[in-house]
Amino acid sequence: MRTITCILLSALATLTLAAQTTRVSFESQVVVLVVTTQDYDEWRPWEKKTPETRTVQAVVLDGSLIATTADLVENATVIFVEKHGRPLREPARIVHVDADANLALLTVDKPGFFADLTPAALAPSMPTEGQVSTVRWRSGQLEISASRISRIEVGTSYLGALEHASLMVETDLSGGGWSEPLFAEGRLIGLTFAQDEKSATVTPVDILRASLESPRTPAGYREFANLELSWEVNRDPALTRYLGLEGEPRGILVTQVPWGSSACGALYPRDILLGLDGHAIDAAGNYQHRRYGQLKFTQIVVDGHHAGDVIPGEVLRDGKKVPVRLTLRPARSANDLVPVRTGGAAPPYVIEGGLVFRELDGEFLRTWGKDWEKKAPPFLMTGYDLFRTTQTPGRRRVILLAYVLPSAYNLGYGNLETLPVARINGRDVDSIADVDEAFRHPEGEFHRIVFQPNPVRAELVLDAATLDKATQEILDEYQIPERRRLRKTPLPDLGGACPDRPATHGAP
Amino acid sequence: MRGQSALFVAILACPVTIAPLVAAPAIEKSVVRIVNHAQRPSWYTPWGTGAMQWATGSGFVIEGGLIMTNAHVVSDSRFLALFLYGDPNPHEGRVVVEGHDCDLALIRPVEPKILEGVPALPIGGLPSLRSMVETYGYPSGGDQISSTQGVVSRIDRQLYAHSAADGHLAVQTDAAINPGNSGGPVVQEGKIVGVAFQNNKAMESVGFFIPTEVIRHFLADAKDGTYAGYPDLAVRTASLENPAARRLAGMQEGESGVRVDWIAPDSSADGWLRTGDILLRIEGETIANDGSVASGELRLPFGLLVDRRQIGETLPVRILREGARKDLGIPLKGYPENLRYSNQYDRRPRYYVYAGLVFVPLDREMVKTFGDDWMSDASSELVYELLFRPQGEPALLKKERVVLLRRLDSPVNANIPFFKNILVDKVNDKTIDSLEDLVRAIEENKAPYHVFEFGYFGRVAVLDRAEADKANAQILKDYGVAKDRNL
Repeated sequence: MRTITCILLSALATLTLAAQTTRVSFESQVVVLVVTTQDYDEWRPWEKKTPETRTVQAVVLDGSLIATTADLVENATVIFVEKHGRPLREPARIVHVDADANLALLTVDKPGFFADLTPAALAPSMPTEGQVSTVRWRSGQLEISASRISRIEVGTSYLGALEHASLMVETDLSGGGWSEPLFAEGRLIGLTFAQDEKSATVTPVDILRASLESPRTPAGYREFANLELSWEVNRDPALTRYLGLEGEPRGILVTQVPWGSSACGALYPRDILLGLDGHAIDAAGNYQHRRYGQLKFTQIVVDGHHAGDVIPGEVLRDGKKVPVRLTLRPARSANDLVPVRTGGAAPPYVIEGGLVFRELDGEFLRTWGKDWEKKAPPFLMTGYDLFRTTQTPGRRRVILLAYVLPSAYNLGYGNLETLPVARINGRDVDSIADVDEAFRHPEGEFHRIVFQPNPVRAELVLDAATLDKATQEILDEYQIPERRRLRKTPLPDLGGACPDRPATHGAP
Repeated sequence: MRGQSALFVAILACPVTIAPLVAAPAIEKSVVRIVNHAQRPSWYTPWGTGAMQWATGSGFVIEGGLIMTNAHVVSDSRFLALFLYGDPNPHEGRVVVEGHDCDLALIRPVEPKILEGVPALPIGGLPSLRSMVETYGYPSGGDQISSTQGVVSRIDRQLYAHSAADGHLAVQTDAAINPGNSGGPVVQEGKIVGVAFQNNKAMESVGFFIPTEVIRHFLADAKDGTYAGYPDLAVRTASLENPAARRLAGMQEGESGVRVDWIAPDSSADGWLRTGDILLRIEGETIANDGSVASGELRLPFGLLVDRRQIGETLPVRILREGARKDLGIPLKGYPENLRYSNQYDRRPRYYVYAGLVFVPLDREMVKTFGDDWMSDASSELVYELLFRPQGEPALLKKERVVLLRRLDSPVNANIPFFKNILVDKVNDKTIDSLEDLVRAIEENKAPYHVFEFGYFGRVAVLDRAEADKANAQILKDYGVAKDRNL
């Protein structure tokens, strides 16, 4: 979450740390992006909201590329680049986005544009301590602020699926968090992703480097992976003994493995995951990183690894140590039954008889405002909290009757909203395409929409013969240009269901 | 009929003095000031005695040497002081019977003779819309009686804030009903037409009183000295305004009714009604497609006709099922399983403490430990299990979900990773469908470990049985838990 604090020019807070040569050097490495974005209206998904223009930072990289965080160019309609603090703008073009890693690469097609720019040198890895410089353009002046590394922490990326180590810094920069590059000893160490008061979260060079190198490998872009499993710490000696682990508590207890995760088919509930990729995991779920020290174990699958890699591990299963192999799968928010974010994708929807159907996702829930987790309907929020990663091969999405555009045709249903749909005309619906298809197969004279159990209503019935005419009249009345928008690309293929737990003997 | 809302507030107050009234007509003489010294337990520290508090309300004398008031005026009472009109001396009163679902109660003075010469107020009928009524009581702002006048502005079903889960007929008036008015009489032409009981935070200059149909229902029920409560069909119905829905249901032109969407297990309706039935008539009255029935000059939700019956009586209904119209007589009973959705009064919380782990049933009082905004503040699993999961699995209403409420820290339990506000599914491989199940599963376990399996996400916790047994008594002592259980 990008947090904006009050933006005040504070000369006192801005320190000139680098020598003049460094300042000049930064001037040719850091550019400004003027990004106009236009998000979809999640309640009227056939249209977009008022466009917004913002100024963010970006860094020049080798290969005529400019890097920024992906969330800042989500739903961009036009992007301009300003260099050397001068307001002369050139249009930029996105060449690559990894929304889950929250990185975007852009270029400028105008010949010679990069001639007076210098690619930033990438630091070999994140520094672990000390002072670094946060750099941004502001009112035509380069602002270099002192920042101090406070810790390295494994956290969830913007879209919510990928976990990776980020750099946490305390900074003198005011109002940051807009992809300001950070440098240590003249080398790029990361881009800010969020800032709360004086604390900034930085997407590290490690993620940036892997993202940059991947497109150049013969196999093409290799996404980052995650484990996406539910687990609990294993610090309780009683639990450890009960599960048959000798010695001190160690490893983490696997409690739930979602379909489509890297753990699917390799780890099972009640396994104690003792080690992964040669790293021992302690009872709190940490391992010892060679440079960064103690980190959460989920970092193991990101550190030097990508989707497709196979990594070894060791579990305690039914009191016996068992070697396992995990085939890493991409960390994608779209895998989840209720995605946290959709990365600016156009929301699929269908309108039939004035009934507006859409998918349940975090984008929709966030329309309840700043305190959406408290203000969104409790029925939806409990589903989001409890069932977000409970996707199965037969259940990939929750389809909602979002609301009803009232008309004489749908009389009596005008006050219904946010009800989860189970079946339409006897057909299970698991996507907006399913909804669209189901309405082509009425049950005799009727369309019958059956909801998943909820406190409001079990089903509703519409007249089939007049549906198309009524729908068109409603679209005309409410000035809605399109009856439907189906998903352009299919949901990620997550393979078959996770295999059953191997047969065991003497399970505790 | 049951529902959920946070807008209605029951009204109690601590008044201060103003000038006395000039005259004392008959009505005032029958109005009583009630000071309730109450003690309410904490559902978060369920073994504790609970905080002492006091509040004032109003009441009025009726036939039989009784004083009628609101249940919320006398709930959790330890000592009731009654102040009669013009008498500065407190007199002790005792609660005879309370109806928490209808927010009414009867009190009898310990010395019955104090009511000698105090007129019992006669009970009248339902006032007409737009007619004038007078309220009497001891609202905040003084010790002396106060009366106000207002117009009957609406007669409809309302949520009764005292239980927060029951809805009955209520009358809305613009007569001022302020804190302390609770339990006072609402009068028209010298007769009681209601008992003042609540207002609505979302509306200005609006008060509500309990009409005589609810009062008479309560008095008839309480005649034997005990209160059984309202019958409950315990069904959810859906309106049928859409012609297509009516056609699919096989209804004829001009026929109206509502569809049965959901039935609580072992309820009055269970075995008599089926999901998909259309309720056409109730008590001989046609049910409109919006679920209303004609009642004099009003249209009221059909459930209010169920309210007019007592438990044990038979409710005549006509249904449409698979094309056939059938007349049924449904024997009515209460649905105590729904008490989990109500505020609780005059009882101690149920709990069990073992090895510092505090287990309680999942109910409204449990989730209220998160505060008034529990629906958004309580953890999702608790809200989902209490409110939503029974919609798909009604059989859950026949069971009691148990929550690990909190942990009293001790070396024996300090390493348990989950220890508060978490649902218990199984203990020692036994499914937990009640607090008693949990106690048995722990006490009858002979294995070296107690294994707790929690709802959602596959979470698990383990206690070493010998260590836990050994630590148990000391933890109870250290934390001042006099009794390890109230089942």
